[in-house]
This record gives sequence, C-alpha cells and structure tokens, in this order.
Amino acid sequence: MSAYSDNMEQAISHIKQQTILMQRSLTQKKLMDALKHCSDMLKELRNPDLSPKLYYELYIIIFDSLSILSQYLVENHPTRHHLADLYELVQYTGNILPRLYLMLTVGVSFMQTKDCPAEEVLKDMIEMCRGVQHPIRGLFLRYYLSQRTKQSLTSDISLDKKFDIQFIITNFIEMNKLWVRLQHQGPLRERDLRTKERKELQILIGSNLVRLSQILDDSFALYRDEVLPQILEQVIQCRDVVSQTYLLDVICQVFPDEFHLGTLSQLLDTTLKLNPDVVINKVVLSLIARLNGFWDRQDDPNAIIQNLNHLKLDSNTDEEEHSADDGESTAEKLDSEPVSRNKFDLFFVFWKYLTKITEERPDLPLHEIIPLVHSIMLLSLKWYPSNLSNVDILYKFCWEKYQDFGKDIPEECEQSFKELFIYPLSTDNFYEIITTCDSFQKLLSVQSITLQKSIINSILDKMVETNTKITDKQHLDKLGAICEPIISVPNNKPKTSILTVSDDLDSELTFFNPEQEKLAKLVHLIYHKNVDINTELLLICKKWYYNGGKQLRFTYPALITAFWKLIRKLHFKSLKRPERKEDYNAKIKQLFKYVSRCNTDLFNVCGLSISDLIFKLNLQTAAIADQLTLSEISYDFFSQAFTIFEESLSDSKVQFQALVNMAQVLQKTRSLYNDEGYYDTLITRCTLHGSKLLKKTDQCRAVYLCSHLWWATELTLIGEEEGVTKNFFREGKRVLECLQRSLRVADSIMDNVQSCQLMVEILGSCCYYFIHGDESETHVGVKYIAGLVELIQANLKGLQLEESGEVQDFTAPSQTIVIGCDGSYICKTLSSSTCMVSSKIPNVRIPDLIAVPVSYFERTLEYIENQKQVDYRFNAITT
Amino acid sequence: MSLFYKNPVDIEILFDGEDSRKHVEIPTNSHSAKSLFDKYPLFEDGESVTGLVTLRVREGKKLEHSGIKVSLIGSIDTTGYNNDVKNKNLDTFLTLSMDLCPPGELVHSVNYKFNFKDVEKRFESYLGKNVSVMYYIKVTMIRKSADIVKLKKFWCHRYANESSIKDNEGKPIKLDIGIENCLHIEFEYSKAQHTLKDVIVGRIYFLLTRLKVKHMELSLIKRETCGTEPNQLSDTTSIRYEIMDGSPVKGETIPIRLFLGGYDLTPNMTCNYFNVKNYLSLVIIDEDGRRYFKQTEIMLYRTM
Repeated sequence: MSAYSDNMEQAISHIKQQTILMQRSLTQKKLMDALKHCSDMLKELRNPDLSPKLYYELYIIIFDSLSILSQYLVENHPTRHHLADLYELVQYTGNILPRLYLMLTVGVSFMQTKDCPAEEVLKDMIEMCRGVQHPIRGLFLRYYLSQRTKQSLTSDISLDKKFDIQFIITNFIEMNKLWVRLQHQGPLRERDLRTKERKELQILIGSNLVRLSQILDDSFALYRDEVLPQILEQVIQCRDVVSQTYLLDVICQVFPDEFHLGTLSQLLDTTLKLNPDVVINKVVLSLIARLNGFWDRQDDPNAIIQNLNHLKLDSNTDEEEHSADDGESTAEKLDSEPVSRNKFDLFFVFWKYLTKITEERPDLPLHEIIPLVHSIMLLSLKWYPSNLSNVDILYKFCWEKYQDFGKDIPEECEQSFKELFIYPLSTDNFYEIITTCDSFQKLLSVQSITLQKSIINSILDKMVETNTKITDKQHLDKLGAICEPIISVPNNKPKTSILTVSDDLDSELTFFNPEQEKLAKLVHLIYHKNVDINTELLLICKKWYYNGGKQLRFTYPALITAFWKLIRKLHFKSLKRPERKEDYNAKIKQLFKYVSRCNTDLFNVCGLSISDLIFKLNLQTAAIADQLTLSEISYDFFSQAFTIFEESLSDSKVQFQALVNMAQVLQKTRSLYNDEGYYDTLITRCTLHGSKLLKKTDQCRAVYLCSHLWWATELTLIGEEEGVTKNFFREGKRVLECLQRSLRVADSIMDNVQSCQLMVEILGSCCYYFIHGDESETHVGVKYIAGLVELIQANLKGLQLEESGEVQDFTAPSQTIVIGCDGSYICKTLSSSTCMVSSKIPNVRIPDLIAVPVSYFERTLEYIENQKQVDYRFNAITT
Repeated sequence: MSLFYKNPVDIEILFDGEDSRKHVEIPTNSHSAKSLFDKYPLFEDGESVTGLVTLRVREGKKLEHSGIKVSLIGSIDTTGYNNDVKNKNLDTFLTLSMDLCPPGELVHSVNYKFNFKDVEKRFESYLGKNVSVMYYIKVTMIRKSADIVKLKKFWCHRYANESSIKDNEGKPIKLDIGIENCLHIEFEYSKAQHTLKDVIVGRIYFLLTRLKVKHMELSLIKRETCGTEPNQLSDTTSIRYEIMDGSPVKGETIPIRLFLGGYDLTPNMTCNYFNVKNYLSLVIIDEDGRRYFKQTEIMLYRTM
C-alpha cells in the first residue's frame, strides 16, 4: 500500500511516468505489468487533501491514461486475453479505489465486445461503486462510470432503454447523496468553503440529467412515469439547499418543454416539499421562463394549447377533484369564465399551486410570494393574453396576502411589488389590465406613496407613448382612482396660517411638475366620437382633477383646451349640417359654460398666483366665441378678463403684457360690432387701462398700440381683403388721438434716451397708418409726420449735447444694445451669440446708450427714404 | 557426503505418466534452493500410486544387496524448520511397503514397477510455518553397509465430499454488532463455507455511524495451531482487502466481494497434531487510526 504523492507536481509527474511505463508494457503486450502501472497511478486519486479543482485535474490525466488501456483491452480481446477473466483479475487489487477504476475500465471495455452480458456487468459495476463512500472520490468514480458508459450505452450495444435510464438514475441518486454529504465534511467553520467546492462540482451531477434527456429523446411516458418521479423523490429526500436549487434548475433546463407541460403539477408539488431555505420563486421563475420561451419558439402557439389538452388527458381527472375542494372563491371565479374547465389550463395549474403553497407554507414571507405571483403573471400574460381575469385574480391574491400580513409593506418587497405592477405595462393590453382589474388599484393603493407615484408615472408615460384613447366612463373612473395619489394634494401639513401655506405651495408649484404634466397629457387621450359622451368623460376627469387643489393650474388648462377642441368640432359639425344648428349651438353654449366653470374653479382655488393664466384663458375663450360669432358669450369672457385684470393683475409688467395681449385679441374680433356697442365699450376700456398704467413708458406704448383697435385690418383667413371688404371698423380720428396722447406721454418722460426711443416708435406707427390709410381717413398726414421728425431731431440734438459733455471715448462699444418693443434692453455681447434681456438699464457707457435711439431713428428715416420710391406720397415728407 | 563417497547406484523414481500429471508449485522453504518454488506431482486421496524404479549400476561394476523395497510414507512434521534438528518430532501416519527384488546382485540397470493400490491419504499435504504434512516414495536398497535410500516427494490434495458440504452451504453468516451510540452495523456473508476458488460475497449495512470511518477492509486470516497447551505453537497469515473508502452514512449498504481463487489458501484441517483454521475479519479504521474489528470463522475446503 504505497501512499500518494505529497503535492500536485509530484502526483502529476508520477501519473505521467506511470502512463509511459504502461504504454511501454502494452506495446510489449505485457498486460499484467500495464495493469500494475495503472493501479500504481490510480493511487494518486486516493489523496484526501486535494481540493475538488486539483482532484479534477488529476482525474482528467488519469482518464486519458485509462483510455489508452481501454483501447488496448478492446483490440486484443479474444486473441490475447478474455475480458471476462480480466474483469475478475483486476478485482484482486488490494485498494478499493484503484480496483474500482480498473474494474470499470475493464468492464466497460468488456461491454463493447459482442459476447458480453452487458446488463449484468453494468449492474455489478454500479453496485460495487458503493464501496467508495468518500464524497469527492466517490463522485469522481461515479462520474468516471457515467463518462465511460456514455458511448456504450448510446451507441453499439442497444440495451433496453428502460435499463439504461434506471442505470443512470441510480448513479445520479448516489452521486447526489455524495454531493450532499460533501457539505458536512470537515470542520463547521469551513461550511462556506464546502458550499463553494460543491458548486464547483455541480456539473458532475448535472451531467447525469443531461444524459437522461439525451437518452429519453421523446419518450414522454417513460419520463413521466419512471424518470421524473425518481429524480424528484431524490431532490426532496436530500433536503439540501444547494442541491435542490441546482437540480430543479437543471431539470427545468435540460428536458424538453413538452415534458414540462405534461408534468407541471408534479414539478410544482415538488417545490412545496423543498427545504424551507430554498428560494422557491427562483425555481418557478426558471420554469416559467422556459415555458414562455417555448411559447415564443412556436410557429403557431395556439396549436400547443390544443396539444396540451391532449397531453393532459389522463391526469386531468384527478385534478378536477382537487379543484373542487380548493379555495371555493377561486374556483367560482374560474368557473364563471367562458373557458371551460375541462380543458387543460396552464394558468389554472399554477393558480392551484399558488393556493396550495399558501396553505402549506404560511411561513413564506411576502417578498418570496410576490415574485412568485409575478412569475405566474408572466406566464398568464404570455399564454392567455386575453384572459385578464387571471391577472385580476393574481392581484387580488396579493391584496389578500397583504391584508393577512397586516403591516406596512417592508422595503425589501417594494421592488417585487414594483415589478408586479410594471410588468403588465409592457404587454399589449396593459390598458385593459389596469382598467378592468379591480384589484390592481386596490393593491396599488396600499403601496408606499413613492412607489405608487413611480408606478402611476410609468402608467401615464405608457398611455401617452402608445396614444391609448380613453373612451369609457368606467375606465376613466378607474384611471382616476389609480392616479389619485398624484392628483390630490397631501393635506396633512399643519396649517399655521393661510398665508404661509399658500406660500409653501406656491414655491412648490413654481417648479416644473412632471407628474401633473402627465395628468394634463392624459386629458388629451380622452376621446369619444360622440361629443356628448366625450363631454361627459371630460367632466368626470374634471371632477377627479378638482381634488388636486392648487395643482389645478397644471391640469385645468388642458381640460379647457379639450373643451375648446370640442367647441370647434361642434361648430364644424353645425356648418356641415345647418339644419341642426340650434341643437349644436345649445351644446356649444353648454361647453362654454363648462369652460367658464373651469376658469372660476381655477380662480377660486388657485387665486392670485395664476390670475395671469386665467386672464389669458378667458381671452382665448373669448376669441373662440367671437370666431363662432357668439358675441354675447365672447363679451362675457372679455369682461371676465377685464375683471381679472382690474382685480388681480397688479404687477405693472404683467399688466402691460396683458393689455397688449388684450388689444391683440380685440383687434381681431369681428362679432362685437353690434348695436349694444360691445366693441366700443371694450376697446375704450382697454385704451383707458393702457393710459392708466403706472410707468409712462408702458402708458405710451400701450396707448399707441391701442390705436390699432380703431383701425381694423384684413384677416385673410376669414376672407377679408383690403380694398374689397368695406365694413372695416375704422376711426382715424381716434387713432390720431391715441398717437398724440402717446406722444405727449413720451415727451414728458424725463429719461431722454427712453423718450427719444418712444418717439421714434411712435414715428414708426405713424408711418404704418400713413401707408395703410388715406390721409383724410387716418388724419395722420405728411405734416404730422414731418413735425414728429423735427421734434425727434431736436430731442436727439439735446441728447448729443449731453453726450459731448461726457469724456470722449472712441473705443468701439463692447456690446450692441437695442431696446425691445416692451421697453426692455437687449444686450448682445460681440463675443457671444446669446443675448441678455433685462428691464433695467444695463451697465454701459452713456454714449453707447444714446446711440440706441439715434441709430433707430436713422433706420426709420432710411425706411421713409426707401418708401419714397414705392409710394409717391412719401415725397412730401422732407427729412 | 557425496563428495567423498559416490553412490554406486543411481536410483530413479518415476511415476506413471508423470510428465502429463498435474503438478503443484509450493514455495520452497529451504534457503539453498535454486528456485522459489518446488514442483511436486499431485495425487488425490484414494488414488493408486504407481511408478517405475530404475536402478542404474555403474558400467562394469557389480553391486550386492540384501533386497530392494519401495515404501509410500506419509508423515507429519511438527518441528518447524526453525527448530533444532535434534528435536525432530516426526510422526509417520502411513507406511506401505513392497519388495521389489530379493537379495542378490545387480549387474546392469534394472527397472522395477511398483504399485500401491488405492492409497488412503488421510491428510492433505501441507507446508506451514510450524507444521508440515509430507508424502513420499522411498526406495531402499538394503545392504550390509549403509542402505542406499532414495526419496521422492509428491503432493496430495483431498477434495471435500460434495454432499457433506452441501448440507451447510445454504446458511449465510449474519452478524449484528456495534459500539453503543457510536457504530452499529449488520453484516452478512452469503455462506460460511467456501471452496478455495469461491467468491466471498456479502454486504455490510450501516445502521448507525457516529464514527468517522477512514476506510474498511476485510482480512482473510489463516491460523495454524499445533501442539497442546502449554507448548502450543500457532501462526497466522492474512490477506488484506480494502472494501470501503470514506465514511458512510446511516442506511448505506456496502457490497463485499472477494475472489479467493487468486490467493494461495489452505483449506481447513484438523487432526490430533495440529489444525488450520480460516477467519474472515472485518476491520474498520477510523480517522484517528483506531481499528475496530470482528472476526468470523469460515470454512474453506477444496473441490475438484
């Protein structure tokens, strides 16, 4: 009993040396010597101190050496020796490990000859392998057996398939036992190391299952009745986490999909009996991934559902019984489905499993169940995409689970829950899922607020992305319920005083709010052919959004626009079908009332902070009403706008902008010139407001802009044309009045630069009227313009005088400055392409500032000169 | 002795058909022998021993004698070859003699046939450490001076009577042993009596193992005992055969298979002078090198 070498190098060199000796003996036909050398090198495999990796290295070398021997044995079989004799002979080897290796080598060689009782030899070999109980050595020995028998079992000798299978299974079971035992070797503190080593060896065990699947080929009955039960039994029996996880995964991977379909319940039942530490959902997930992959690989997936029934015929009967005493509620639910129960339903199998697992393993934590449910949902959506009640059942199940759980959802589950919600979104019928599954919302509402928000966001994104139209009231209600967390304002803040709260909110709301933006987008997805229903949908939406408090400012504008859209649509319809005009008009009026209601709500809820917005919305609505020649309504909205202007707009800048906006809208109105003098009232008021602005520059600009209100111009869109249309609202006298007033204001401004600038602007306006109207009508004539030019020239001289008093500096200005039409300074630095806009006087040298009106004036004069060539009337103006 | 005195006659003993007869090779026990093995022709119990004695006289010489006889002798030597030759303890249990020729004179070479019919050989030939059982043919030329003697050894095998063995064969050996709270095994050998070419088949069933077993082996022990107390001499030889590597768990069954044919074994023998017994010993060696064993006597016998 010579011992093994101390280290790897020695062992390898020893094996190699013995291999060479063995080969030499074989060439000399000295078999006994060769066997002796073999047995000598095999002693290296007895070393108990090797790690699995090193052991494997030795094993590989020895495997190759023994192959040489095996070849010789087969080639010289009947002539030089009889393998049956050799089979006995090698068993005299004193040490068991070399003995068995030799025995297997000879035995397998023997099996390749014709006159061999192969079955007996196989049986004998596998039985004798029991002698090696050391985990690593035993594993490798059996692996050697399995590798060696591979060729003989599959090729030459056609043994009974059943026998082959039994042989492999037996070997597999023994190997697995050894593998599990490896875990308990050595000191306790090396457990982790053991686990690592075992994982390195797992392929040895798995290879058996691969072999099985190769041999089984397509004999399903054999698989179901013989193979699988035995394998699963072993999996359950070994009670080892590593082994169970690995083996179930391998089973899922190596056997054909059809087999899995046929033995689903067996597989699933097995998972119930596993070691509690095994992560069940991993196993189920890999199974489901496999099934889903199978679905994808099919050309005609529907055909397999048919085949399923076929596969499952026999085992179905007992399933029926089970379903009867399973949870009644679920059975009822399922029974009510149109799919008849006698058909094999994959989902039903899993569902049954789920109920069973909750019964048998009540200890299972939430974060393990939820992924399980998730994986089943994957399956359901893949196989039965149209059967949404399945999905609903699953959500409901989760919800009940949660209720049993009774506490807040722990953080570690959040991710799983999130996946549960997010996954359906990636399918085609996500919309149906979220709108028809009651439990979706129920379950969602118990999640943490951040999770809810993130999911709602995903839902909304998805809706917008796919442009899913919402056409049903129930659906909308459901969506509203789902989105509620982001619609309504959390009102748990302590209200100290109204003022501070609103301040808080304001600061919050000034930020761009993507959630609310999505909600606003949702409004545009609401669509129904029928305007009435569409209106109704919008009103429901409005009702939901009303809960949003100050957030209305984000969502209501969208609603109002949606109403506008409807109004225009109705108007278009009424044009097409004049006989129903009355009817349509009534509806339109109703819609305007809704818009007004929205505006009022906005005003009431959000108040001052967004009066600018409300003002604009009113104006726009007024404009629309005007375009539909609904003067009463239009006037009403205008007056609303004025009210807001008067009551709420306090910032001078905003006021100015509002007036400009108002003037622009009013100038385009056409329906207000009626008996009641709406137009007159409105424009007078507008001009009045303009002249009462705080800053003189604003007053001046507002007034000369308002002058346009008395001078309507053509709107080609509604078919007007200068010179053809006769009834333009034009009052030249008032125009001139406005200009003069504006000039007076400009003159009275103390800042010379501004004053000159404004005068040039007024000059520009004058030129406009001069071009667009006859002198007799506009009262803006050559004389007036010439006078204005003179005035400006004089003023500019004064300016330049001022400039000469300054220190002369001829360096080129570093920036170009222009004054905008609202009086703000626009500075463009020469070096950069961007402009800076500010209402304050920029920090520059005075001469540069003076140059602004001067150059503006020069440009205007140049324009007048140019006009002279086009328009003879300009010749009268001398500059 | 032969250096000074050359035998005047060559005596050669040749069994009938000796060349074709089966021979056995027995390890030689004398240190001066040229080969490791001695070859002996093999006879069985009850077989006639016949042959030819050739006496060759040197050319042209006459040899007077007072008669030539041949004898077949069986003897047991319990001296042991290490012991002093003087204390030789030889016991002859069988002597058969016949005269080949009356007293006279040998002039030329003569052949004499001898025939011992159906000789009963009570014991098997055996060569142990302290005991040996020998059979030989002895040709004695009786002379007035020293007799001229020639010996020729042969070997005898006794084959067991099949029918007497058959009766016990069916009974396997079953044992149930253990150390409390530590080890409990059941083992079983298929039978207690084996022929020398037999295979020992059995299994070991581990009911309880708290022991960290390193390996387990089977020893086949031959124990030869001779003499009576207190001067009893005994000798054991054993063959070791590893049957398990590593530590089994509860419920594991380990197969045993030991081919006997390849080993040089001795069947059980019992007589007044000595006996040879065989034992099967199951030895478990744990990781600390401690040995636990259980011996069982088995019976080996020779068959054709």
